[in-house]
Amino acid sequence: MKMPNHPTRPSDEDIIRRIIDGDVNSFEHLLKKYQDHLLRIVKKHVPYNEVEEMAQEVFVRAYQALPNFREAGSFKQWLSAIAVRTCYDFWRNQYRSREFPMSDLSDSHRGWLEKTLSNQSDQSFYEIGQEKEARELLDWALDRLSAEDRMVLELVYLEGLSVKETAELLGWSVANVKVRSHRSRKKLERLLTELIST
Amino acid sequence: MRSLQHELRVLKKILRQAYHEKENLEVGEQWRLNVMHRIRRLGPLESTPNYLMLFEQFLWRLTPATCFLVLILVTLLLKFDFTPQYEVFTSFINDMEELSLVQLFGV
Repeated sequence: MKMPNHPTRPSDEDIIRRIIDGDVNSFEHLLKKYQDHLLRIVKKHVPYNEVEEMAQEVFVRAYQALPNFREAGSFKQWLSAIAVRTCYDFWRNQYRSREFPMSDLSDSHRGWLEKTLSNQSDQSFYEIGQEKEARELLDWALDRLSAEDRMVLELVYLEGLSVKETAELLGWSVANVKVRSHRSRKKLERLLTELIST
Repeated sequence: MRSLQHELRVLKKILRQAYHEKENLEVGEQWRLNVMHRIRRLGPLESTPNYLMLFEQFLWRLTPATCFLVLILVTLLLKFDFTPQYEVFTSFINDMEELSLVQLFGV
C-alpha cells in the first residue's frame, strides 16, 4: 500500500501561485528545494568564481518569469532551461566583450599531458580526471570554441544529453543542435589532435 | 608507441571525467541569503500580464506564416505587369512640363 504524500508539504504549483499572489517569502521554499540541482548545472557551465553570481541570476530570472510558468510542465525542467540559457548568455557576453582571459597551457600542463598519455602513472581515468590539470586542460579547449559550440558540446558530448533534450534546454531547433554538435565535436578533436601532436 | 587515435580517446575520457568533477566544487551558503535579499528588493510580482513578453512569444510563432505571406506577395509582384503603370507615370511627367502657374492657380 502506498503511503500518502506529505499532507503539510505544498506542491510547487501551490507555492508558485502564492508567490504570484504577492507572497515573496514563499520563494525561499523553491530556492531550498532546487538549489542543489541548479548549482550542479551552473558549476559545470561557468568558471568557478562566477558560480554564485550566476546561480543568483538564475533564481532572479526564474522569479521574474514565474507568471509565464505553465503548470502543465515540470518546474524543475523549466528552471533547468533558465539555468542553461543564463550560462549561455554569460558566455555570449564574455566572448562579445572579450573580458574573459583565455586560458593558456604552461609547460607543466604539457608535461602532465605527456606523462598521462604515455601511461606512466597507474591512476585510472576517474582519478586523473579529478586532477586540477585535467580541469584546466578542459577549460583551455572549451575557451577556444564559440559560446554556441561550447554549450552544445558540454550538454551533448560531455553531459550525455540527447539532441532533443539539449534543444529543449537551449530553446533551439533539433536540426540546429545536431549541426552544432557535429561541428563542435570536430573542432574539439582538431584542437586535441594538435595538442597531442605538438 | 601508441597511436594518435588511442591517445585522443584517452584524452577525451579524461576531459569528460574532469567535466563531471566540476559539480563537486564547494559553494558557500551565503549566496542563498543574497538571492532572497535580491528577490525581496524586487518586490511582489505584477499580477497583470506583461504584454511585451506575450507579444514576443506570439511574434516567433507567427514568423512562418509571415514568411509565407511575404513569399506569396513577392511572387505576385513579380508576375505583375509594370508597363502600364510606367506609361501612366511617363505621361504624367510629360504633362508636368507643360504646367504653368496659370494652369495651376487659374490666374
